[in-house]
Amino acid sequence: MTETALAAPPADLVADGADGGGRVLLEGVSKLYGKNWAVKSLDLEIAAGEFISLLGPSGCGKTTTLRMIGGFELPDEGEVTIGGTAMGSTPPYRRPVNTVFQSYALFPHMSVAKNVAYGLRYAKVPKSEVPERVTEALGMVRMKHLASRMPAQLSGGQQQRIALARALVNRPAVLLLDEPMSALDRKLREEMQIELKLLQQQLGTTFVFVTHDQEEAMTMSDRIAVMNGGRIEQIGSPADVYDRPASAYVAGFIGQQNFFEGTVSSVAPLTVAVPDGAIASSRPSTAAAGAAATVAVRPESVSIAEGEASEGEANAVTATLMSVSRLGSYLQVVTITPGGQKVMARIPWGVTIPTAIGTRVVCRWPADAPMVYPA
Amino acid sequence: MTAVALPATRTRGRRFRWNVGVLAAPVAVWLLFFFVAPFVVILWYSFGDKPSLYITHDNSVLSLGRYVEAFNPTFVTVFLRTLQISVVGTILCLVIAFPMAYWMAVKLPARFQGIAVALVLVPYWTNFLVRTIGWQIVLSPTSFLADASRALGLGTPQLLYTTGAVQLGVVYNYLPLMILPLYVTLERLDPRLLEASRDLGANAFESFRRVTLPIVLPGVAAGLLLVFVPLMGDYITPSVLGGAAGSMVGQQVASQFNVAQNWALGSAMAIVLMVAIIAVVVLFALLFRLVKAIIDRFEHVAIVEGEA
Repeated sequence: MTETALAAPPADLVADGADGGGRVLLEGVSKLYGKNWAVKSLDLEIAAGEFISLLGPSGCGKTTTLRMIGGFELPDEGEVTIGGTAMGSTPPYRRPVNTVFQSYALFPHMSVAKNVAYGLRYAKVPKSEVPERVTEALGMVRMKHLASRMPAQLSGGQQQRIALARALVNRPAVLLLDEPMSALDRKLREEMQIELKLLQQQLGTTFVFVTHDQEEAMTMSDRIAVMNGGRIEQIGSPADVYDRPASAYVAGFIGQQNFFEGTVSSVAPLTVAVPDGAIASSRPSTAAAGAAATVAVRPESVSIAEGEASEGEANAVTATLMSVSRLGSYLQVVTITPGGQKVMARIPWGVTIPTAIGTRVVCRWPADAPMVYPA
Repeated sequence: MTAVALPATRTRGRRFRWNVGVLAAPVAVWLLFFFVAPFVVILWYSFGDKPSLYITHDNSVLSLGRYVEAFNPTFVTVFLRTLQISVVGTILCLVIAFPMAYWMAVKLPARFQGIAVALVLVPYWTNFLVRTIGWQIVLSPTSFLADASRALGLGTPQLLYTTGAVQLGVVYNYLPLMILPLYVTLERLDPRLLEASRDLGANAFESFRRVTLPIVLPGVAAGLLLVFVPLMGDYITPSVLGGAAGSMVGQQVASQFNVAQNWALGSAMAIVLMVAIIAVVVLFALLFRLVKAIIDRFEHVAIVEGEA
């Protein structure tokens, strides 16, 4: 790619989003597809100027939620309010939102400039101002030099920038982004993530970003709404959902986890008996004594040392080293216990650990690492 | 590259490739013998005359006399009627086919689309003459239509052997040729483009005008050509349904060859017909471009040069 960073937006392109027009409220919103609730009783408040990600696997209702904000789907129950105005059955073309589609959906019969200018006519922008606005928007995504090209002559990354310019030129209060980077290669995607976040901060527009890529959501979002089965499992800052997952589902979806199944043997102090030993946790939990529980331990909390766990030692399991692979700045270690439990560890590059496959090792983690969820 | 490629023929650049050229030869020969040669013969005959009752043509004296002869009042009347039936028929086909194709491609669930295409194609595959005779039965004074008319006390209507009957017949016969290209282009139209259009503020009508229509325009042009060109030369439909009141120029040409045995005059008429078809198509293409240029100018977006 020749284009590098997105330029700073001109001051007059900054949307109304910052002053409250970009506040989005979803109250008890539900959508039925056939006999299944795609989205069920969803409540979500998005602050003006916020960058929020709807994160979840396919079929979790995230795209349906986005389409209900955009007006492409109407909720069967509940209300969507944008900038203080209840949307009801307002069609997409009368909503103060614009969308960057997953497939970009650029008009194939129009040049880049015409694509970007498309919406300005309906925004009642005087004809004399159109060239200026289009130039501004294209300059913002560094695509001015391609203004006269046709979409078919552009690369995926370029098309994505044009789609972004086409949506932003209308100065929407809310910008909806439906997995806009899923077709880009990894390197380009990482570059675009940073640029998009900077652009959002400069414009002050509310961004609602749908993705199934947790890293993408973590990189850009002010808040992440983790969705599952048409509901929001947890909503919070990237640090919140990563460090304090509200459920085993969220714990598993965001980042890697080692999951242990066991029974709560004591509540204070919280101890869970698992086949390979005992796990003690200093974290709060709703699990009741005697009940089945799922314990999640992040691989980066796990340390590896040659040897065996001592008798009765909590938060330590003896295992056999299965593989060590270098992933960027850390080593990904996979071990397996005699009971067949897989325990992964993520060791920073530079820390010395045994690397010979088959070595008996002990995996340990601190007491503040295990997250205990009722099974 | 083909399997028969020889080292000597493997050349770079734009040099003529004999191995590929050979593959095109059968088509070239076919076109030469069955298209170019007959056309040249007809053109040649049209400058001759019919010297006597028992000779169909003679080119010993060349003249434009047959063209002058061709423009007799009967021919002109029939020619103008043909033009009218063709233009009206083509427009009617478009008007009927567009909603039909749109419904098939956009509204109908994908699993029924194959059936819909089959329902369009099956009548089209039925013999042209048989289909047209079918209409003769429906329009005849003894048909159920005429019975119904008499039962309502409206008398026996004159449906058959009228220009209207021919008009109806040609629209019926050529409709699939309009539906199919329209269906193909509409079927390829990405519905997400219409969502993008609505997202950007355009209502349904504006989205249709600025997105759907420009994208399906090549399909419309293909349909117009596929219908108009053969319709101008049709002679089965008017022969079966038109009688004297609804005859078309194709019949005039045929009767010069088959009945009057005046191949020279028939050839001149055929050339006139061909030139007329080309003229109408060229005229239409120019008009099409003009409208497109005007729209392009209207929608033109200039980029302000300078620092972004």
